[in-house]
Amino acid sequence: MQNADEKQPQPGWQQAVRAGLNAALVPFLAIVTAVIVGGVIIALVGGNPFAAYLGLAQGAFGSARAWSETFVWATPYIFAGLAVALAFKGGLFNIGAEGQLAFGAVATAWVGYALPEVLGIEIPGILHLPLAIGAGILAGALWAAIPGALKAYAGGHEVINTIMMNYIALNITSYLLNGPMKDKNPLNVIARTPEIAEGARLPVIFDGLRVHWGFPLALLVALGVWYLLWKTTLGFEIRTVGANPDAARYAGINFRRILIVTMALSGLLAGMAGAVEVTGLNYRHELGFSIGYGFDAIAIALLGKTHPFGVVLASILFAGMRNGATRMQFLTQIPVDIISVIQSLILLFVAADAIIRYLYRIKAKEERLVLTRGWRG
Amino acid sequence: MKKLYAVLVALLVAAMLLPACAPAQTGPECAKPEVFCVGVVTDVGKIDDKSFNQSAWEGVKLAEKELGAKVQYIETTDAKDYDKNIATFADEGYDVIVTVGFALGEATVAAAKKYPNTKFIGVDQFQAEVTPGVAGLIFPEDQAGFLVGALAAQMTKTGKIGGVFGTDVVPPVWRFGEGYCAGAKYINPNIELFIVYHSDVGFDKTFTDPEWGSATAKSMIEKGADIIFGGGGKTGNGAVIGAVEAGALAIGVDTDQYYTLPEAQKGLLSSAMKLITPGVFDLIKAAKEGKFPDGNYVGKAAYAPYHDLDSQVPAEVKAKMEEINKALLDGTLKTNVTPAKTEDGKGFCTP
Repeated sequence: MQNADEKQPQPGWQQAVRAGLNAALVPFLAIVTAVIVGGVIIALVGGNPFAAYLGLAQGAFGSARAWSETFVWATPYIFAGLAVALAFKGGLFNIGAEGQLAFGAVATAWVGYALPEVLGIEIPGILHLPLAIGAGILAGALWAAIPGALKAYAGGHEVINTIMMNYIALNITSYLLNGPMKDKNPLNVIARTPEIAEGARLPVIFDGLRVHWGFPLALLVALGVWYLLWKTTLGFEIRTVGANPDAARYAGINFRRILIVTMALSGLLAGMAGAVEVTGLNYRHELGFSIGYGFDAIAIALLGKTHPFGVVLASILFAGMRNGATRMQFLTQIPVDIISVIQSLILLFVAADAIIRYLYRIKAKEERLVLTRGWRG
Repeated sequence: MKKLYAVLVALLVAAMLLPACAPAQTGPECAKPEVFCVGVVTDVGKIDDKSFNQSAWEGVKLAEKELGAKVQYIETTDAKDYDKNIATFADEGYDVIVTVGFALGEATVAAAKKYPNTKFIGVDQFQAEVTPGVAGLIFPEDQAGFLVGALAAQMTKTGKIGGVFGTDVVPPVWRFGEGYCAGAKYINPNIELFIVYHSDVGFDKTFTDPEWGSATAKSMIEKGADIIFGGGGKTGNGAVIGAVEAGALAIGVDTDQYYTLPEAQKGLLSSAMKLITPGVFDLIKAAKEGKFPDGNYVGKAAYAPYHDLDSQVPAEVKAKMEEINKALLDGTLKTNVTPAKTEDGKGFCTP
């Protein structure tokens, strides 16, 4: 059956859809399996899995506000997931999205609230918003370029360096928010910046709902990343270095430059996650906001098979689960932690796809994902 | 394979559409005026956190028993969900919504403006200005700290006592610490105090660092302190447990931690309590009776029973404690603690 399909010549878009479905098969079955196992766990702790999942689905997709909140959650996930996925394509494992996101958020917040004062002028919205987001992007890109350069010129492994740089970024952020950037309002006891100016805010799409233009922007950026990776020379070089650095070198690709550029682009996307959370949702940065998104992003990139469109779908799924969990708990009193269990199961089944392939008798057809390389890669 | 894909796509579409079509499931008919419903939105953390969330929930459970209220809680997992979690209750027609912790203060005030028919109880939320429908349940932490400080000063054998706290930029924590020092000095002006605030880390960490709390308590004990007051979430809990492990006496905070920290029972002298449970209950009752007080509502402070150490506390100390408690309650004794951290950080602990 499979062979017969392959032999038939097919129009391009059909082939693309088929390839997409093929790639989505294992993640999809992983989700189904995780949901079933999660249901068994819910039943074991004395809950009703059907009521729980109905509550979860209602909370995630059951009303206009549910959709809106799901998209609010999905927005930073998409940016951060794209960041990790893009690095994977270049053969790099960016665990530092968390820190890059934090710096992006801090830089954006600073431009948002302090720049008008520093310059002593009111910046028009048409300029202020791009400036604020641009600052966040730049901060993320620069912060990520450092481990990129360390890998390219000093052989420092990016996994170690990005983890270490997370600590540096989070502690500097903590210092800034507790100290120089702290909201000086005497009633404020929280480590957070003042609110950013009206002009630096991304507007909401519909009145009364929190979903903002950051979500369409995220979709657009996903399309852009896809275009970059598969339709440009730079994207080809990134993928070549990711697939085989030695071959890339022989082919005359400046692989050191590509390593740094890949990390910078990855950090740019992670910084954008922070920038959009500040300009679109929170209107300030606060310690405790956006905690863990950089790590969730790794799971999302894996579930999305490191493809930009896969990342979008995986982000919406994870966002829906996070968002729907509130209603699930409200209706059934099942602890929200069950969501983390299910998400971990999904990740387990995606990463150890042999389990899924064995369970559902799927032959390995696609190329295996190369996630990261050793010291000299 | 084609059939398999068709089935998968159909399932996916069905999964997306199902929730929209299914009849909206509602809670226990809270929109009806005769049904009295109370919901709790926790701060980021669990309902059984052995601290604020749990105490507030116990007050709500009391309302279930005494007032026949329908009760429910939602645990917040991320700060950006405060609004949504409060709205989940408000949209279902809940009569009273309890939000726990000062971090929810702004979200609570905003919700009160949006849902004028709902009463909001903000636990530990100081109201700088009155918002109709919001009662901020606050506590005289300085009095609670004063009580246990006086107790520690009477019980110490070495003349040295310690205190391990979260960050002093949070006014309630400052008042606990200052009250502790003021109470100790009220008994013995020459007492040696070791006071450390965990202000060296971020806000995400200052209340959730039990290892630091434990290590800090133990270093104070090495310097000769024999009673440690631990105040500030898990950091304080770590200090209490660490002190008991090291053979010293410990004093808990917020709730009677004899019940919430069983591992510290054998060395827990008392706890500086904010009576959150009765405070929440009283406000729910007031809401039901239509006597809801807008603005700040000052609850009561107390010191917890001595439990296992009851036999070791001399009768004259017990009498003195009751005398101080009474004097604080009727206002004849003042703690003179500043409401928030002073500009130069000076106070009873660092004169």
